[in-house]
Order: sequence, then C-alpha cells, then structure tokens
Amino acid sequence: MILKSLIHSIFAIALLSSAVAQASEPPYLQAQIDSGELPTLYERLPDIPAFGGTEHLSVGQYGGTLRLLMAKSKDIRMMTVYGYSRLMALDKNLQLQPDILLRLENEDNRVFTLHLRKGHRWSDGELFTAEDFRFFWDDVANFEPLSPYGPPQAMKVDGQLPEFSVIDDYTVRFSWKDPNPNFLPEIAGPSPLYLYRPAHYLKAYHPRYVSEEQIEQQVEDTNSKNWRKLFHNKARQYKFTNPDLPTLQPWYNTTAIPAERFVFKRNPYFHRVDREGQQLPYIDEVTIQLASSSLIPAKAGSGESDLQARNISMDDYTFLKSAEQESKKIKVLLWDTALGSQIAIYPNLNASDPQWRETLRDVRFRRALSLAINRHELNQVIYFGLARESANTVLPHCPLFDTSLKDAWAGFDIEQANALLDDMGLERGSDGIRRFADGRKLDIIIQTAGEKNEETDMLELIKDTWRQVGIRLYTKALQREVLRNRVFSGQAVMSVWMGLPNGIPTAEMSPASLAPTRQDQLQWPAWGRYAETGEGSPPDIPEVQRLAELNDAWTMSSNSAQRLAIWDEMLKIHAEQVYSIGLINGTLQPVVINPRLQNVPEKAVYNWDPGAFFGIHRFDTFWLKPEGAS
Amino acid sequence: MIRYLLTRIATMIPTLLAISVLIFIIIQLPPGDYLETYIAELESQGESIDPQKIAALRADYGLDKPLAVQYWHWISNFVQGDYGYSFEYERPVAEIMGDRLWLTIILSFFTILFTWLIAFPIGIYSATHKYSWGDYGLTFVGFLGLAIPNFLFALIMLYVANRYFGTSIGGMMDPEYLDQPWSWGKLKSVLEHMWIPMLVIGTSGTAAMIRRLRANLLDELHKPYVLTARAKGMSEVKNLTKYPLRMALNFFIADIGSLLPSVVSGAEIVAVVLSLPTTGPLLLAALQAQDMYLAGSFLMFLALLTVIGMLVSDVLLFLVDPRIRFQKASK
Repeated sequence: MILKSLIHSIFAIALLSSAVAQASEPPYLQAQIDSGELPTLYERLPDIPAFGGTEHLSVGQYGGTLRLLMAKSKDIRMMTVYGYSRLMALDKNLQLQPDILLRLENEDNRVFTLHLRKGHRWSDGELFTAEDFRFFWDDVANFEPLSPYGPPQAMKVDGQLPEFSVIDDYTVRFSWKDPNPNFLPEIAGPSPLYLYRPAHYLKAYHPRYVSEEQIEQQVEDTNSKNWRKLFHNKARQYKFTNPDLPTLQPWYNTTAIPAERFVFKRNPYFHRVDREGQQLPYIDEVTIQLASSSLIPAKAGSGESDLQARNISMDDYTFLKSAEQESKKIKVLLWDTALGSQIAIYPNLNASDPQWRETLRDVRFRRALSLAINRHELNQVIYFGLARESANTVLPHCPLFDTSLKDAWAGFDIEQANALLDDMGLERGSDGIRRFADGRKLDIIIQTAGEKNEETDMLELIKDTWRQVGIRLYTKALQREVLRNRVFSGQAVMSVWMGLPNGIPTAEMSPASLAPTRQDQLQWPAWGRYAETGEGSPPDIPEVQRLAELNDAWTMSSNSAQRLAIWDEMLKIHAEQVYSIGLINGTLQPVVINPRLQNVPEKAVYNWDPGAFFGIHRFDTFWLKPEGAS
Repeated sequence: MIRYLLTRIATMIPTLLAISVLIFIIIQLPPGDYLETYIAELESQGESIDPQKIAALRADYGLDKPLAVQYWHWISNFVQGDYGYSFEYERPVAEIMGDRLWLTIILSFFTILFTWLIAFPIGIYSATHKYSWGDYGLTFVGFLGLAIPNFLFALIMLYVANRYFGTSIGGMMDPEYLDQPWSWGKLKSVLEHMWIPMLVIGTSGTAAMIRRLRANLLDELHKPYVLTARAKGMSEVKNLTKYPLRMALNFFIADIGSLLPSVVSGAEIVAVVLSLPTTGPLLLAALQAQDMYLAGSFLMFLALLTVIGMLVSDVLLFLVDPRIRFQKASK
C-alpha cells in the first residue's frame, strides 16, 4: 500500500517535473529573466513544487492586476490570510495537507518531523532551510530580550516546551512529552503559528550576529525606540508591514506604511504550480486601496474592486444586486458564513444573585426560554428568510452535524414552554408575569454590546413571545468592555453575543469552545476563569464537569475515532442543556467580484478559521479573463 | 510692544498645559484602552489573538502604568519634539502626520480661496444694495450652503460625480495615480476629485462670511466720513474700497486665529464621508481606537496653532488698525 502510493507520487512528480520543464514563464517576469536578474523557472521552483488541490480548477492565464479595497492600512495583513501559504494547509474539504512542507511525520501528536522542500526559496531568492527554523527557535522565541514570555502559547503543553532539533538542512523536529493536538491546526491557521523567520535577512538586526555599534546605528537611522522594537518591526511576517522582509506568500508587498495604496507583486519563487506545471499565482499584481469602511460597499458596487467581501454585509445586498444588473461591471455571489449562531443568548450560570443563579441553572428554564422564541419569524423579518433557524451548534455541511443538534429545543412551542415553567413552580401574578418564590417578578435584563442593529431588532421580536410565557425582557446596551466586566462579575444575568465561532469544525479541531476554558465564555465566566488561572471555584454542575473532562480527554487522545466520539458527546450535551440559546445561523455573506475573475467558487463558506476567508478557496489560482474574451 | 508680546507668550504656556491635561483625560475617559479596541476589532472580523501577546503589548506600550505616569511620559517627550508612537500604525506620530499634512494644506488653501472668492463680492454687493432682490437672492443661496448638512451634500455630490462624470468614488485622485510621481495626468485627476470637497466645505463657510462682511460694511457705510467723501465728489468705487471696506476688514484679520488650525485639520466629517487622505479622518480614527499618542499629539498641535493664530491676529490688528494702536498708547 505504502509502496503503491510511493510509486504513485514518484510518477506524479516525474510527470510534473517534465511539465514544469515545458511550462512557460510568467510574461511579467520575462524581462527580468532575459536580463539575468532572475533565474529561470526551473531554478526558481523547489525540486518538488507543491501541486495538489487544483484538480477541480481551470488552468488560468497569466497577467492582470487584482484590485482590493480595505478600510485600514493594517488590513494589508489580509494578504497573508488570503494568500494562505502555510507549512500545512487545509484543503477545501478541511483536510490538512502539506503545503510549504514536503511532508510531515506525526507520531501520536507528540513528535512532529517537518521535511522542507529542497530548493525552496524566499521571495528574495535565498534558500529556505532548517536554519530559518533554528533562528526562530534559538534566537527569537527563546531569546529573552526579544520574547520575554518565551515561545508562543500554542507551543506549550501544560507549560512544557517541545524539544527542538535540526536533523539536516531540510528536516527539523519538534517533540513533546504529551500530545499537542493543537499544533497542526495552529500552523495551518489564518493567523498562523510561525515556526520560522528569514534568518539571512533578520540576522542583520540581531545582537548575536552584528556588533552593538551597528545596531545602535540602525536604531538611530530608522528613528526606532530601541533595537527590540526595530527587530520586531522588521520581522512581522503576518502583518506584511515591512516591504523588505522576504516572504513565502504568493505575493509580496512593495509599499511601506503609511500609504493610501499598496501594491503587491508576484513572488517569483512561489512554491506552488498548477496541474500543468505553470507556476502560481496567475495574477501579477494585487493592489489594495484604502477607503473609509462606509464607502466600500458603494465603491464595490461601482466596480472599483475585483474581489470584495470585507466591509460588505447582507445590508448592502439589495444595492449591490441592482448595481450588478444595471452596470454589469460586477457579479455578486452569496457565500455562507460559519458561525454556530449569528447571535446567541447566554444565560449567566455564574450570576451573583442566588435566586437567578439557581433558576438559570435549572435546565427546564433554559429550555423554556429557547422554546418561546419564534425563529421562523426572526428569519423572515430580519434575513428575508435566507438564513437557517437553528440552535447554537455546528452547521449542516459540517461532518459532525446531526439534525437533532439543530432542532434541539429550537422549535416554537409556547405550550411546552409554559408547562416547563409551571413545573418549576414559577407562578404567574395577576398581570400574567411569573414570580419567584419571594415575589420578585421575572424581569430579565439582557445586556448587549449594542454594536449590531440586528441584535436589538431580534431581541425586540423575542420580547413579544417571551411575554406570552410570562417573562418580561428588557435590553440594555452597554459599551463592550463594560458588558464583559458585568458578565464576569455576575451582575449581568443574561447577555447576547455571537454563537460558536466555528460552526464547521472537524473532530481534529479543538473543542475548547464547548467546555469551560476561557473567562470570556459568557455562560460560565467564573468557571472559564478557573480553567485559565486556577482561581475561583471549579464547575459544580455534573454536565459542565463532564464537558471539561471531555475537553481534557480530547487533548490527550491519540486516535481519531476517540476524538470524534468526544466531539459528538460534547455537542449533544450542549444541545440538551441549552447552555446558550441559538437563534439563526447560515446567514449569508455577499462577495462582489469582477465578472472576468475565474476560479472563484459560486458557493462556498466565508470564514476566518477554518477558512482564512479566500485562503482555502485558493486565492492564488484566481485569474482574470482578458477583456473582450468570451 | 515687546513687553506685550512677552506677556502674551508667557500666558500661552499655562493655557497649553491646561489643554494638554484636558486632552489626555478626555481621551482616556471611555472605558478600556487601545488594546481593548484592537481586540474588539479583530474579533468583529472573526480573528483572535493570543492573550499573552496582548499582555506583552500592554507592557510594551506602557499601558499598564498609572495615568499620571503615562501623561508625564507623553508631555515631557512632546516638549522635546518627540510626539510619541502610534499604536495603530506602529510608527512615530510625526511620520504619519507629515504625509497627510501636505494634502490637507493644499485642500484647505483652495477651499479658503474658494470661500473668499465667492463671499467677498457677494458680501460687498449685499451691503451696498441693501434689501434689494439681489441682496435677498444671494444671501438665500449663501444660507442654502450653510443649511444643507455637509455630509449629505458630500454624499449627493459623490453620487452625481460618479454617475454623470464617472469619477471614482471618494479619495483625492484616481487610485492608479496614488503611488505615482506628479504628472499632468495626476494633477488633472486631483482637480477632478478636489472640486467636490472644495464646493462642499466652501459653501458651508460662505454664508457666515457674507453676513459678517455685510454687517461690518453696513456699520461703516453710514458713518459721516463716507458722506463727506461722497460730498467731495469721490467716485463710489474708490470711496468704498479706500475707506469703509478697509475698516470692515478687522473681523477678517481676527479670523486668521481660527483659520490656522482649520487649515491643518481640514473638515473632518466631510473628509470622512469622502474618504479623503487628509488629517481629519486620521484624527477621528485615532480617537475611536484610543490611539492616544496620535490623537493627543494631533489635538495638542491644533491647540498650539490656535493659540499662535490668536497671537498673530492680535499682533496684526495692532499693526493694521491705528485705533487699536493709539488706544493702547494713550493708556
């Protein structure tokens, strides 16, 4: 079996290298190649280029400039997100594939051996080798003055750092004593865990490699605060703010901030090729123009962007659609979003008022509240009926999805809700409002950050149906920081926020957001804080304790079947216990594109993680059909 | 005179200090700090950030120190010409402002010129033809400009320019010229875009100017010296420009004080609506993000210009208007 696949891949590589040998140079680079400034394609590509994931896409033509609009100069980091060149990257089916790496050996999530592509080069033509990893590990991450807190959090398992070793020029190894299942998702993330730095470039700013006087001089020349600031400013790989920093992304930045327009040029050493051996990307230049976020929909509508989803929302859809029909300069696609619930209501199980705390911890109460919401009405009124009525759980195209998760306590059933509340002994007064045993009325104040109109609109609709079960709802808009602090302290009984951040997880992704792990989980901030810092009290509800146990078990597990079972159980607990009341998910994201832009999927998921927005849809394979071509 | 100047300059220092404290307090008033806003912004797009990184950044930016320490750090450096460091841009403040300052000054210069060119003739005409149809008509137009909210007018002009002239929406020039050196094409593109902010900001200022010029001139026109000059047979035009108009210009000189800061700040709201690369949107964004050194230093800079502008106005009035000069001397 292994032999067969080996033969297979050798065959594929042989085919490919003959294809590369015949593939034409991008015309954009021809002049530089002719003048000898750049070596030929064969020398620029790694010995074995990355060629997967393009089977379903059309083979493009080189050329063109793609225009993007962004609101802030900091947003140019999106080019790292969209470009999505990672050591390991998710493909469109959310499976991890080697990308920058040739291959990766994983022993029980404990020992990871990374094999680089021989001959892979940075965008400035220098070789990308194990030295770049060593430089990062020894001279940046574990060099106290530069990283006072040590290597990134994601590299620690129970506070333990991995052992790092360089095997040869093209092989490095990270080994932990305990499994670190977050390691691979992190390096494949949209804002990835970087394990390397361009050593050849950055050594010029590092005190271990140059004399103090030289560094002093540079600090002075660049008007920097100190050498640490200077080094960090030069070394920001994710943010793209230093045009001189070599990159492994499909395009490199040529414009320093501050600027109003940024020009990204094709990386002549990019490691991916299409199925015919042509080097990617197809598009020569990407320009980013800054415009105020409120003008971006208007500009996109008049065809001033070739690919735009950022700063555009469903509110703009009708305008964009009419612009599409009128001018024919744009095409509007509707992609799915991946939040577990666009907006969810969080009962605070750590509320400081004992009466409320007890009531909110009663599952019957949470179920009754969920049943007393007419999600169909919300969908029709606010989302033109285009969204999906669902509990706060995974989405239908997620492999972990089950209809019972979506529908659990999410139907509209006033009768059953009333029955549950009656059962709890919450009697109605003469005005129809239910009362606690001590006579206080059940007036729920839901605290919102007041940042989205749809939030307040939805709560207004829910108010009517909750009234029918004898509960009065009031909303209170607070500044976001104040909101959080009130939830943390238990003053806020209930709050609204977005639902599960990732509605399309696979069992290989961490289920931490389902268990008490962070203080900013609004349904159990105190337990989250306990997990984070060890302060306060641990969860005292059996189901929540079970969630914490399952999360730990997932971290330690070494096989996929086990991880799948854990995910299933956790999702089921959430569905049954209604720790958050989901309303609507599957809302849509308009994507405005130039009608000439090819290889953009008609229907896809627009999401940060997993997804990297356009990243997993292979932004590097998008291409512009020449004008006039049919 | 020199004594007067010195005392004026001496009183400027406590004024500026008081302003600096106010600025600092007001920027710090909303809960949270720059990093909180930063995290919020990331989260609203679905991104997240390592809490450890935030802690490191907070220490790095000195946001964990008490307010008084932060204030002292800022103001003591400001005096030495170090305007601080922008969190948002990760650059020294001076570097970020410098770039936008030029475009702002150019735009403000043209806008002011535009306002004067319109307001002056109308003001003079209105005063000399008091209560005529022309006076009413022109004043009405001026008031229209004042009454239409700038942002609304700006939006309408954007639509018109894009729809009928095909100008790209917002900005100071077509995007392809942004990083190009100056050329005829670029200049043309700038002019194509500049007339909108010029018109919008300009019209809002004309009414006030027309009315003030008219009122001041009317006061003078009925003074006996005008009558005398007319009786002696001086031509109407010369009579007007030589005496009453000169007298009526005092308000104009007094205006220089407020003009100076506005040349640098540009009209913030219009600039935001039109997405102009001027300093206004920069200031607004900095305030929203609690990017305190950028916002603080910029506001401080404006305060400084206001104070200096006032001084310049006073000195000019002193030099230009003998009434003030002699009043002072006779004391």
